[in-house]
Amino acid sequence: MVPMSWYLALGAVLFTIGAISVIVKRDILSMLLAIELMLNSVNLTLVTFSSYFQELSGQILVFFVMVVAAAEAGVGLAIVVLLFRNRQTVDVDQASMLKL
Amino acid sequence: MGMERLGINYSAVLPEIIMALTGVALMLMEAFWPSRSKRRAGLVALTGLGIALIATLRLWGTPRQTAYAGMIIIDDFRLLFTAIVIIASVLAVFLSWNFLEEERIQPTAYFALLLFCAVGMALLTSSHDLIMVFLGIETVTISTYVLAGYRRDDLRSTEAALKYFILGAFSSAFLLYGIALVYGATRTTNLSAIQTVLNQPLNDAERALMMVGAAMLLIGFGFKVTAVPFHVWTPDVYEGAPTPVTAFLSVGPKAAGFAAFLRVSSLVFGADFDLASAGRALQSDWISAVAVMAILTMTFGNLIAITQTNIKRMLAYSSIAHAGYVLMGIVARDWQAVAFYMIAYTVMNIGAFAVVALIARRGDERVLIEDYSGLGFRQPTLSFPLTVFLISLTGIPGTAGFVGKFWLFKSAWEAGFSMLVIIAVINTVISAYYYLYVVIVMFFREAKREIEPVPLPGAFGFTLAVTVLGTFYLGLLPTRVFSYLNQAQTAIAHLIH
Repeated sequence: MVPMSWYLALGAVLFTIGAISVIVKRDILSMLLAIELMLNSVNLTLVTFSSYFQELSGQILVFFVMVVAAAEAGVGLAIVVLLFRNRQTVDVDQASMLKL
Repeated sequence: MGMERLGINYSAVLPEIIMALTGVALMLMEAFWPSRSKRRAGLVALTGLGIALIATLRLWGTPRQTAYAGMIIIDDFRLLFTAIVIIASVLAVFLSWNFLEEERIQPTAYFALLLFCAVGMALLTSSHDLIMVFLGIETVTISTYVLAGYRRDDLRSTEAALKYFILGAFSSAFLLYGIALVYGATRTTNLSAIQTVLNQPLNDAERALMMVGAAMLLIGFGFKVTAVPFHVWTPDVYEGAPTPVTAFLSVGPKAAGFAAFLRVSSLVFGADFDLASAGRALQSDWISAVAVMAILTMTFGNLIAITQTNIKRMLAYSSIAHAGYVLMGIVARDWQAVAFYMIAYTVMNIGAFAVVALIARRGDERVLIEDYSGLGFRQPTLSFPLTVFLISLTGIPGTAGFVGKFWLFKSAWEAGFSMLVIIAVINTVISAYYYLYVVIVMFFREAKREIEPVPLPGAFGFTLAVTVLGTFYLGLLPTRVFSYLNQAQTAIAHLIH
């Protein structure tokens, strides 16, 4: 049997890859994908703990995370479409009217 | 499992149910009874919020209890913050009244989103479980992403929504990972149960998980309450979003975020732990991290606010600075002080943004501080209220801001954080510069070009009257509110089994 720490390490690695991609990627669709990766790495972590503890609340949280991720993707894509209509690009560097 | 163990208790979440039904009703109205009139949709929204407020106040005084298997808690802390967020939503409806007409925006969906956001905020204030904290935050932020981008053909608004969305989703992921790790360390997501676990020693692996989890939670909450260094989205979103939405964002979701932050902070990290327990070791780290965050937040917010030329951006940085003051209340674990400050801040900040929204007019054309020159005696109905709000935000005696700050500083001082209080006082002095600068521009500088006077519509007049009166009432006669707060059950760090 694969020990729990492997799953946790995989979760942590995926989360890190996701977080770094959000920071370095320049187009919004990749950023959305990276955020999705972060959320799913959390799901993996939660399921690991939940099955290890033989306790359900972690898995229930995973369902909620999936629903929230779907809602977030819906709103996020709508915003991307809006930006594309106004700007004809999905590059975040172009979205710089408001100084950072 | 029997039904009673699920703890289903509709009266505990009655305000949320009412607001959610109102939101759904608004969306159905759009389908079956379409109309571009903002009046009908607005009245429905106001009615729903009003009934929800009554439902909240009727729960006042009920004994502390949890419902839904420990997911929801009812106590005076929750009811007070729920009332604050509902009042903020009501004021936001009034502020949006004219904006919707000028921008020709479909009112039903807008008000429905506002209501759903209010549901999320109310759930956030009542959460007694990390799952509820997450769901509450997501309900709030997903609705506010859309609200921030509501002026669809305006690039600034779209950009604000985009930045808010990316950084909001990013921070939610951190919060969620924190929740997962805390769950891994303690085998539960219930806040009281976590406190019980932390009251015993943990093994090395569990301690490490708990430590990283707590740090991630702090990052997640820091984003939501605009604490430095997680504040980068705030100025852009506040500048780009439509002004009524900015007004709402700066008080409602923030108050709800602080309520959840405070609940987690005092229930999980602020309890009276045994000496050898894991919680005791974690506690000092958590409190010093929040204290450092408070110092950074108020100092950065105030220093950068000085350099701003756009008034919405200036108020965004000022809102960051105020978040820093409120963090002091979390450090001192005095929830009454935080609650009072949030009431005061809601009143004065909504008022200030109401004036800004009126002057900015259609498409946010006039938002520079120099646009305010010469306004003073030409439009006293706008300049005098704005002066009152700015003075109150500075914290000059006689206004709500002073009393709120005084209470926060006092409780932080009594809790032994004298350095924090000294820095906060210095910050207050710094903030006087940029708040009073706007007043000077209004009254003592000639207008650059002739501008036709801005009409004062009824809804705005009402908002301004309520907020000005509120500012003075809380500033001059705060004893009644004090006694309510003192009667409220004081210990939120108490366990419920």
